[in-house]
Amino acid sequence: MSSNNVVDDKPSKSDEWKVFLFIAVILFPILAVAFVGGYGFIVWMLQILTGPPGHG
Amino acid sequence: MKNMLKKFWLIVSKPSVHLSFGFLTIGGFVAGIIFWGGFNTALEATNTEEFCIGCHEMADNVYVELQDTVHWKNNSGVRATCPDCHVPHNWTDKIARKMQASKEVYGKIFGTISTREKFLEKRGELAQHEWDRFTANNSLECKNCHDYNSMDFDSMSERAQVQMKMAAERDQSCIDCHKGIAHHLPDNMNSGEGTLAKLEEMATSGYKKGESYFSVRQLPLFTNSELNEEAGQLNAATEVKILEVKGDAIKVEIDAWRKTKGFGRVLFEDFAMNINDGYLTKEVAQAEGSMTKGETKEDDLTGLPWQKVSVELWMRNGSLTDSRDTLWTFAKTTYDSACSVCHTQPAENHFDTNTWPGMFNGMLSFVNLDGDTQALVLKYLQKHSSDFSDAGH
Repeated sequence: MSSNNVVDDKPSKSDEWKVFLFIAVILFPILAVAFVGGYGFIVWMLQILTGPPGHG
Repeated sequence: MKNMLKKFWLIVSKPSVHLSFGFLTIGGFVAGIIFWGGFNTALEATNTEEFCIGCHEMADNVYVELQDTVHWKNNSGVRATCPDCHVPHNWTDKIARKMQASKEVYGKIFGTISTREKFLEKRGELAQHEWDRFTANNSLECKNCHDYNSMDFDSMSERAQVQMKMAAERDQSCIDCHKGIAHHLPDNMNSGEGTLAKLEEMATSGYKKGESYFSVRQLPLFTNSELNEEAGQLNAATEVKILEVKGDAIKVEIDAWRKTKGFGRVLFEDFAMNINDGYLTKEVAQAEGSMTKGETKEDDLTGLPWQKVSVELWMRNGSLTDSRDTLWTFAKTTYDSACSVCHTQPAENHFDTNTWPGMFNGMLSFVNLDGDTQALVLKYLQKHSSDFSDAGH
């Protein structure tokens, strides 16, 4: 491991900003919607098997 | 692409060099708040009437029909919008329903109900989905606004009172009787209108003291001859013996059985058979005055003690018939026509007396019968069940 490599590994400030914005604005919102949607879909499939939601 | 992912992972998996811990936490937190707010706003936007009638399938069919009903315009000025009744309010069920709507998007793209004819063709099936849902959740979406405990029975007509009190007693699902309350019924379905007249037509008049008659529908009972102190309700097709006729009022005797667990408010026609003869109010059921108690027997199957009682109460002079067969004929016709909409209905003697109520309630979500007719048909089925028929199995 040369000291050169360590310098190369350090990301630039603009790269960190880009990654942060990508995660916070695009990736996680998409994942959150996918999770909620997936949850709803699973419940729907269960309802097809067990019938509509009851009361109580 | 591969390099980009590699670089992305390198940055994500290590502590940041330039961005502070505080900034990342606050930044992520704020982004989360903005996202969740946006998510709910979008979800609510799909839960508005404007959104629902954005498709002509809804705007030209069901939305137009709604405008002729009490859920659109009434004297209190409160109205129901599409999602009030058709989207579950509970979060999980709501999200599931929103995902289910992907089927509606499919239907829109492929024009499944793009014309009035196609819609009418499919109305029965679509309505059945909603009735199944309301049946399963005991009409939860109705009950978000309508509450049995908040109903002022005194301001209802006498007939409505009898029906609503009976329904409240069992916390009955609204849709059992109120199908077609907001949209038209499917074509092949009995509208249920005019049954009161048909039932009353079967009533005879000039009741003789000491003779027995049968109620043509569910009727209110009173403790006094002025008919203003409520005593309970008499079920349809129930035998009463006339003790006294006094103008508009008649005093009747009801011979019945009751379970001695609890207040003993429910009257049954026969020992260990759940054939409903009516309900008493708590006061009357516990009072000694109007009731003669007979033998007590225990039902081996349930271990419940049953007691024979004879109740003397007043009722309005009318709505009785001397022939129960007339009632059975009407009940059989109704059962044969209404219940064969979906399938061949089971023969009367296919089940025993105590099985029929459960079976019948299960079938109610497929038919449109008012409370009086439901009670009459159920009693007909119970009285012609395998317990009373030699041919059964």
